[in-house]
Amino acid sequence: MWRTGGWNVMTEQKKRGKAILQVQDLTKRFGGLVAVNNLTLDVCEGEICALIGPNGSGKTTVLNLITGIYEIDGGSVTFENAQIQGEPPHSICWRGVARTFQNIRILGGQTVFENALLGKGYGNGGSGVLQTVLDTVKFRKERETFTAEVDEILEFVGLSDLRNERARNLPYGKQRILEIGRALITKPRLLLLDEPAAGLNSKEIYDLMELIEKINDRGITVLLIEHRMELVGKLANLVFVLNHGSKIAEGSFDVIKEDPAVIEAYLGKGGN
Amino acid sequence: MAKLQQVFKRYGLLILGILLLVAPLVSAQYQFYVLERGVQNAIHVMGLLILIGYSGMLSLGSAGLLATGAYAYALLLLKLGFSPWLGAIFAVVITTLVGLCLAFPAFRLSGPFLAVTTIGFGEIIRILILNLEPITGGAYGVSGYSKLFANELHVYFFMVVALICIAIGTERLGRSRIGLALKATKEDEIAAEVMGVNVKRAKVVAFALSAMLAGLSGVILANLAGYLSPDSFTSAESSSYLLMVVMGGMNSAIGVIVSSIVVTWLPEVLRFLSSSRLLVYSLVLLVYLRINHVPATRERFLGILRKFGIRRAADAAEDPCGERGAGM
Repeated sequence: MWRTGGWNVMTEQKKRGKAILQVQDLTKRFGGLVAVNNLTLDVCEGEICALIGPNGSGKTTVLNLITGIYEIDGGSVTFENAQIQGEPPHSICWRGVARTFQNIRILGGQTVFENALLGKGYGNGGSGVLQTVLDTVKFRKERETFTAEVDEILEFVGLSDLRNERARNLPYGKQRILEIGRALITKPRLLLLDEPAAGLNSKEIYDLMELIEKINDRGITVLLIEHRMELVGKLANLVFVLNHGSKIAEGSFDVIKEDPAVIEAYLGKGGN
Repeated sequence: MAKLQQVFKRYGLLILGILLLVAPLVSAQYQFYVLERGVQNAIHVMGLLILIGYSGMLSLGSAGLLATGAYAYALLLLKLGFSPWLGAIFAVVITTLVGLCLAFPAFRLSGPFLAVTTIGFGEIIRILILNLEPITGGAYGVSGYSKLFANELHVYFFMVVALICIAIGTERLGRSRIGLALKATKEDEIAAEVMGVNVKRAKVVAFALSAMLAGLSGVILANLAGYLSPDSFTSAESSSYLLMVVMGGMNSAIGVIVSSIVVTWLPEVLRFLSSSRLLVYSLVLLVYLRINHVPATRERFLGILRKFGIRRAADAAEDPCGERGAGM
């Protein structure tokens, strides 16, 4: 599998920490199309990794497989030493894997606060229906802690002043930030970002990069899909390149950008 | 003005409850009966608010659950000799369990497909009642069971208090994280799942709550009517319950109470039109829904109002939430 920069990768491997996410021989077929083909990758604790590749190379499918939205046809996904393939998405979320979507999926009719509160999920303990309806002491206390947590995160991502605004009234960039904030409410240890910079202007991208670094500083490992190479180059410790569902390169951004296989995948033969 | 709105927003349910409690003092016997039916419907429709309004699962078989509650109460008392209160509790439990069965198809079906399934469910219940004649009395119906309260007024007070408590609970639920989980299930199941919402469990909860309220409403219906027949539980009834949720705005407990009472009352108010009354009834509802939900029609309607010089009414109607008129 190590087709490129073998020596380089090996030394990097030694420097890396403990793996938080291990994807082993992951395969997904849609009818006759092999969307992800024997993909193996490790993401280690505290890293920011990027998954890049031309359109249709299966990047989003990989995220959908990790988070349990698609069923896996072959291989395994291990998060913090536990195999998570086959689990429903909500329990993968409870384990500490959060994600955002390429096309923003927030609740337009709900406020920013409510959207963020959704990240608290349902079914993972906490007050039940009866306690909620009766407004018990336990429920009130829980609501207070939740409110405090949500407000803390909104402050962290910089949306406090829009707290009571309906989500659909937010500008596009803020909606993206809100989605990231909502993912943070789930208290993830691994955050998967699907093209977080898509549709943002350069100022917003700059802010986003700062935010991702701040998130990483909180000890949250990040795996992101991105087409904006300036962002990948600036943030990623390690880049995986996907083409036609297979990994064609892995390494630091500076290494993979010189890789002939990567250049060929993006530009075609003789593209250099 | 703004202050008044705030007061209403905060204590609206209590004010409505007090109004309903004093209503028997001023209404004639027949109007009172219609009002009773309206309140009883509202309890049922509150369940549909959770199921359809919050969770977006279209159910057109709710009359079946209402029938389950009403018949379970009557038959537990008549055939098994339960005391009224015990019978009422068991009837609600049974209805909840029956309603839970409906949650299973809802795991995989949504929208029109789920709606068709629920129609089927409602009809199965009705036809079972019609054909299990030795137990249910078939088309003759059942009567002669004893009631929860000897005094009819007490039933009314009981159900108004129950309704207001249920409405407060429903509103609380709607604002809580569980309510949000339900609303997220409606808008985007995958996003909800990924955010850690156990969607299956949320659906089960929504069905269980709505079935429980349908059961309670059925028990109260049995107490109001004194006679039950399968004719009261047709799928046409189910659609009028749907109408009550939709007219109530799909998101507010007060809206549900008001619209349930109005929709129950409207056919009676229009009785003087004799045979054309159903036509007028449908037209009124159609116009109301169009004005409320189709912006173009709304504009035209407001234009007509302005033309006749009813400008203030038009302005008020244009801004029903008072969001822009806060300074008035």
